[in-house]
Amino acid sequence: MTKEKQTKHTDIHRIDPGKKGLGNSEVPRSQEKDDSLVNEPFRGEKLLANKRLEASDREILEKTIPSDEILKFVIVGDLSLGSKYAKSILAVTDKHIYGFDDSFEDKVKVYGYDSIKRAYVKRYYGNAMLVFFEDDFEGDKIDLSKKHVGFIRFSYKVASLYDAAAHFIESIAAGKDMDEEMAVVEASFEKQFRVCPRCGRNLIRPGAPCMNCQSKKKVISKIASYVMPYKFILLFCLVLSGITTAASLVPPYMTKTLVDEVLPNGRSDMLIVCVGVLLATYLVQYGIGAIRSYMLKVSGDSIVADLRNDVYEKAQHLPMRFYDRTSTGSVINRISGDTNTIQSFMLRITQEVVVQFFLLIGIIIIMFAMNWKLTLLSLIPVPFVVVGSRIFGKKIAPFYRRIWRRWSAVSSILTDTIPGIRVIKAFTNEKSSVENFRSYNGEWLRTDVKASRITTLFPNIVNLVITCGSLLIWGVGGKLVIGNPTEFSPGLLMSFISYTSMFYGPVNFFANLNDSYQQALNAVERVMDIIDAEPESNFAAGKHPDRLKGKIEFRNVNFSFDRSKKTLSNINITIEPGDIVGIVGTTGAGKSTLIHLLMRYYDSYDGQILVDGIDIRDMDLQFYRSEIGYVQQEPMMFHDSIYNNIAYGCDNPHVEEIIHAAEVANAHEFIARLPDAYDTVLGERGTGLSGGERQRLSIARAVLKNPSILFFDEATASVDSETESLIQDAIERLIRGRTTLMIAHRLSTLRKANKIIVVDNGEIIEMGSPEELMAKKGKYYKLIQIQTMADQIQKTKEEERFE
Amino acid sequence: MSRLYIDNDMARFTRKDITLVDMQLYDGRIFTDLEPRRLFPLTGLQKYITLLDSEGVEKAIIRNLATLPDKDRKIIEDCLEEYYLIPKITKIIDCREKFGLLTIEVETDKGNASIEIRNIIHGIKLMYRTRVLFRDNNDNRYEIPDINRLDKKSRAKIDTFL
Repeated sequence: MTKEKQTKHTDIHRIDPGKKGLGNSEVPRSQEKDDSLVNEPFRGEKLLANKRLEASDREILEKTIPSDEILKFVIVGDLSLGSKYAKSILAVTDKHIYGFDDSFEDKVKVYGYDSIKRAYVKRYYGNAMLVFFEDDFEGDKIDLSKKHVGFIRFSYKVASLYDAAAHFIESIAAGKDMDEEMAVVEASFEKQFRVCPRCGRNLIRPGAPCMNCQSKKKVISKIASYVMPYKFILLFCLVLSGITTAASLVPPYMTKTLVDEVLPNGRSDMLIVCVGVLLATYLVQYGIGAIRSYMLKVSGDSIVADLRNDVYEKAQHLPMRFYDRTSTGSVINRISGDTNTIQSFMLRITQEVVVQFFLLIGIIIIMFAMNWKLTLLSLIPVPFVVVGSRIFGKKIAPFYRRIWRRWSAVSSILTDTIPGIRVIKAFTNEKSSVENFRSYNGEWLRTDVKASRITTLFPNIVNLVITCGSLLIWGVGGKLVIGNPTEFSPGLLMSFISYTSMFYGPVNFFANLNDSYQQALNAVERVMDIIDAEPESNFAAGKHPDRLKGKIEFRNVNFSFDRSKKTLSNINITIEPGDIVGIVGTTGAGKSTLIHLLMRYYDSYDGQILVDGIDIRDMDLQFYRSEIGYVQQEPMMFHDSIYNNIAYGCDNPHVEEIIHAAEVANAHEFIARLPDAYDTVLGERGTGLSGGERQRLSIARAVLKNPSILFFDEATASVDSETESLIQDAIERLIRGRTTLMIAHRLSTLRKANKIIVVDNGEIIEMGSPEELMAKKGKYYKLIQIQTMADQIQKTKEEERFE
Repeated sequence: MSRLYIDNDMARFTRKDITLVDMQLYDGRIFTDLEPRRLFPLTGLQKYITLLDSEGVEKAIIRNLATLPDKDRKIIEDCLEEYYLIPKITKIIDCREKFGLLTIEVETDKGNASIEIRNIIHGIKLMYRTRVLFRDNNDNRYEIPDINRLDKKSRAKIDTFL
């Protein structure tokens, strides 16, 4: 941008060059955590800002903005015009637009509304710019050859606010009502702060505290809630553990009796008694142990089943945005692998920790009773084991994360390629597919091998230390036996050695507990990521009319999947009940996105979508979707019977209703011809049926649902002419009296439409009845012309071939 | 329709605006208001630069920027520099994960930044074993051009998440 352009409008109010610029511009962004919707007054007037303004910023605003101007809103940005991280401020008053950026020559640029003909956000890659267009223009497209000026650069963090600002500036420049336009800006600010700035989850209201970030103990209490239903079984198991633990302490003591009293004195009677006691001990230990193991297995499996159920259930209610960004493999891994890890850890915590603790205490008491000096000697390795465990924990934790990620990547390859095996075969891509899998599997192997070095080395070092400890006992204890056999008998030494080896069992357990704790913690975080993830928002649960009439309105709707490109811009449509609306446009124009917004797959758009005058976000989600029939281009069938596939989502329909639905959908005849008719079980994703047959089943589903509103997304795009006609008949029977939106490439399928919407580049460029649009000779007219020509050519070719 | 590829000195460029250039071909044809964009913004920074007109229609492709005369190459590079903001991370100050949200405090060639990534698998991509690309929750981009050139502490902090 030229200097001339930068300074052209800065002659109104200037900050003295050399004076300090925007506050804290070099501060790391981590310190800017106080993001919240700010409504602090400025000069006694309400001011909207996305961040709390620092005193120096307020001072600059005070100095720069004349007292007769009312500051309406402020956007604190994060980039300088030269793409450096630095604070910038857009301050919009009732008379001027002020841009503050330390990289500006005078630190401020000012525009009056009268000099701006159009304001828009130009999206670049990883950044965007508020651009003012100074010349008059006509038409829908911006002529970039005309004079336009980049005003302020910012990252996508504040892009949606700048969208609202651009809309406001342009509207005010065009003479629209400031208060009305301000309401739109306020809505954008509010929307920005309906998400938690820390975790990004939706808040119940703007500025409300985030439930997720409030409590750090939430994770523990969440996991504990899965254990509570089985607390009595687990407590009973704990009692059984006490018995088996006590029983396990008996054999070493019996060893002492056998070695010191029975064997040297030839007491055969005592021998039988000792063997009998040992037998009884073992029976108790292993018999009760078996019962305990069974009960633990049952309760453990129940816990993991509950957890899986919850994760799966939650996965059903997660918004599409979650699935857009999360690989299927990672979700499956969480439901299968991670829940198992959590289960085993929960059992360790609730059972083994207690058992091992009491075992440890019991052994120490017995050992102290036998010989306190030897007991102290046997404790020497303990500090090494404990310290080593902490070091091990720190070393191994990152590996567990990495291993999980590598495994998720492998799972993703599997979920991608196994269902797509037909494509792989068709393109003879088996070799490359195998190589790809090998590569990811190799990554997993390499990480796992690295981790194995630590996981295998550590226990062996621990064992070595422990063994060295027992050598000490042998050395010192043996000397005591040799020196004074009456006070310290060989039997006592044998017994002590046995207790020592038993003692290191719990020590080892606690040393390794950190390892399983780390694994479990990672698994818990990942599972909680789903369980705690924000579900599809349904703030209006239970609120809905009895039945929808089918009036649909889009009001100033803007939407983007990611912030780098707008998918839909400024959509305004009104569809009356019973209207049959055709949506046409080139591929990628945004037709399906319109339907997806109406389906409430995505709720994070600007503007409003109303059905029967109610914002669809203020209507019960379940009710709303139950009122809609959606027939997609690639209908999804499940591995189930045709009957159940038609009845999908419908509670206990009558058989005749299913048959009627199939009949309306022109599906009954082909179903009846199948050997197993309605009981025919389809393969995964409906294999075994042709595309047209699957489509007719999906129409039958929609018929059975009896919806108020119907959406068809290229329903006849991938079928032959004959099947298209069958489907078309079915559609025409289905849409009678219902509001219908049909996306179609083949314009012939829109012959019943009374309204046409032409979408191009995310904008509506034409709308009206087919006749009106034909008379207008615009884009729709061109599409009709092209298609008619193409049809004629095809017809001629077919006739030639026939001849 | 054959695609027009630009090599060597086949065309002269003049800077029109922040991200726009005018192009005059050796045969006299002139194209105005073209926006250079990378066809491979992640894997090929210098190669295959498409030139789009204001309607988004491609007018030509520069095969390799390195083959252009210095003056022309500089013009295109300046436009690309304006268009693409991918700060290069030079140091990892802190890296922590809580409730599935990874927060990385970094020093970049554009200043300090805080990167927040909710979905690590989607948000962090390791390429060619040394280059790391980040995409944060707001779709801002960052990169570590060569992870081996990071200091030891930074490397240790980020390694867990790669």
